[in-house]
Amino acid sequence: MSEPAVTVKRPASLKKTILRLLLYFVVLDVCVITLYPYFAMLCTALKGRGEIFATQGTILPITALWSNFVDIWSLAPMAKYMLNSFLIAGGSTLIAMLCGIPAAYALARMKFKGQTAFLAFVIVSQMFAPVVLLIGIYQVMLALHLTDSIWGLIFINAAFNQAFTVWLLRGTFMGISAEMEQAATIDGCTRVQSMMRVLLPVAAPGIVTTLIFIFINAWNEYTVALCLIKTDTLKPLTVGINIFNGYNIIEWQYLFAASIFAIIPVVILFMCIEKNLVSGLASGGVKG
Amino acid sequence: MATLNLRNITKIYPHSGGEKKAKKKKSDSGEKKVNLQITDQGVVAVQKFDLDIADKEFIVLVGPSGCGKSTTLRMVAGLEEISGGELLIDGKLMNDVEPKNRDIAMVFQSYALYPHMTVFENMAFPLRLRKVPANEIERRVKEAAEILDITQYLDRKPKALSGGQRQRVAIGRAIVREPKVLLMDEPLSNLDAKLRNQMRAEIIKLRQKIDTTFIYVTHDQTEAMTLGDRIVIMKDGFIQQIGTPQEVFDHPANIFVAGFIGMPQMNFFDAKLLSEGGKYFVTVGGCKVELSAEKQKNLAAHKISAQDITLGVRPSHMVLAKQAGNTLSATVEVSEMMGSEVHFHANAEGRDVVVIVPTMNPDGSHIDTFTTGDKLELTFSGNVCHVFGKDGRNLEY
Repeated sequence: MSEPAVTVKRPASLKKTILRLLLYFVVLDVCVITLYPYFAMLCTALKGRGEIFATQGTILPITALWSNFVDIWSLAPMAKYMLNSFLIAGGSTLIAMLCGIPAAYALARMKFKGQTAFLAFVIVSQMFAPVVLLIGIYQVMLALHLTDSIWGLIFINAAFNQAFTVWLLRGTFMGISAEMEQAATIDGCTRVQSMMRVLLPVAAPGIVTTLIFIFINAWNEYTVALCLIKTDTLKPLTVGINIFNGYNIIEWQYLFAASIFAIIPVVILFMCIEKNLVSGLASGGVKG
Repeated sequence: MATLNLRNITKIYPHSGGEKKAKKKKSDSGEKKVNLQITDQGVVAVQKFDLDIADKEFIVLVGPSGCGKSTTLRMVAGLEEISGGELLIDGKLMNDVEPKNRDIAMVFQSYALYPHMTVFENMAFPLRLRKVPANEIERRVKEAAEILDITQYLDRKPKALSGGQRQRVAIGRAIVREPKVLLMDEPLSNLDAKLRNQMRAEIIKLRQKIDTTFIYVTHDQTEAMTLGDRIVIMKDGFIQQIGTPQEVFDHPANIFVAGFIGMPQMNFFDAKLLSEGGKYFVTVGGCKVELSAEKQKNLAAHKISAQDITLGVRPSHMVLAKQAGNTLSATVEVSEMMGSEVHFHANAEGRDVVVIVPTMNPDGSHIDTFTTGDKLELTFSGNVCHVFGKDGRNLEY
């Protein structure tokens, strides 16, 4: 009886191994394709000017100039750019969440006329590329005296990310049983208390994910900042590092060294989201 | 500890635009709320619900899915608006009072525990909201945990507990507050059969330990019969009957109640009610049975005339006759051996009949066994049969 079982098993496990190898190959490919630009960026950041423009250049730097990473801080107001980026991304995230959480709550938990139309309107507003709206935005900001101001960028980024916030949080809230909040209202909570003390803590993974997405979006925003900010010390990092992109020469090594600093917060935050996406905090409260 | 009065309570879910069509379609397709009334105002979920609940009484609302029992409970809790009628707790009108100010607690079918809090915090939550001093919270939570035997889990989060333990925590959270009314919405439906029996017994014990008024919703008639002081049987948003478990079992108000209460279900036959010489008889097949004196009196009081009826006899009240003659003949289709008794599923007069027969006679001898295709001769006493009119109403009441 055992013999046929073995013969049946062998091709199955061989097939499994082949599939697994294929999977590894695909994953490796994807990794190389995605990571190569970062690798090229790091290599270039470590090269000297001569090496970058050498006719018979190598991919890896011959002598690694770690000093490039130090020099950029004195050659440009990098610290100021970074602070501006933090202020813009942080501020717009805060505003987007403060407006988005109540809106998403209302859309997830209440029924009102025109709800579907409102949701459709919100999603349509997300469909325009910022460039299309640029002239309009500039005029509004001019009227509000918010051109060349960090506040202006904070509001614009918050607005750009609002639709995304509302949709994502609405989905998160709808995935959480309303019975938990009903239990809280019976236990003695008001509606707001039940939201603050029960729904939001349970929705924390979704909220953190949304928060980080907005932060990264705002951190990476370039077009509007480029058009709105004139004063060098008010520029965010994305616009500021163009200082190395001169009229006559592009300082590739500095540009890429600065870019590496710019992606560090994004990488860290992405790692945080991943952790939150995996943890299922909502499990266990209700039957499941 | 409280009295509750539900007076002419009605719940209508208004249609909003396209929903009207959708709901109609839903009911057409034979889904859950198939028999609910759809009026111009909306879908009627509960109608003319009248019930007075005494202090410390245990009331069970029972009925099939979509009968309005949970809606009624949620109206008492304040989670659903009351469309019409009055809800009084301790004589005070509660229709528009916030759930938190009604001094009620509720146990949900899905447990509805707060997953980000430990068991202790879950149970302490309602007390914290009421600003009870910390040492008092600790004492009350520990006391409730001891009653429910969950002391060892106080530091765990709900996700580290089994279904039964979670349900105990949910009950614990409800009882720490010592509410006036404890509402339970199908609290045992998510548990497996064994745990359900165990928890049912726990609820009976709990009831002896805490002095409060209970309203318990279930679709399980065993829970209803074992737990309730009184049972409210509902169907399609209407109360069918209110009574003690014994009352509804012995004197069902209509065919629905007769069929819903009792396991296995009551047998129904198309029969005739005869009135001969001032006495009532029922005939079904070749069997003619004189009704008991009490039934004679009840029927006479309502001036019931001879007519076609639906006759109801519980499986345990069907008797195997020794020989044919004034008996109802049936053919065995399936016989189920249950140990102390046998359930014969048979066919008599074109209807399915279940007969429960003890496997052993009082003298210790075993009864004759029957197998598929065997003929049974059945009879029943005029005491235990139920006479329903063609409209389904019990003609005695």
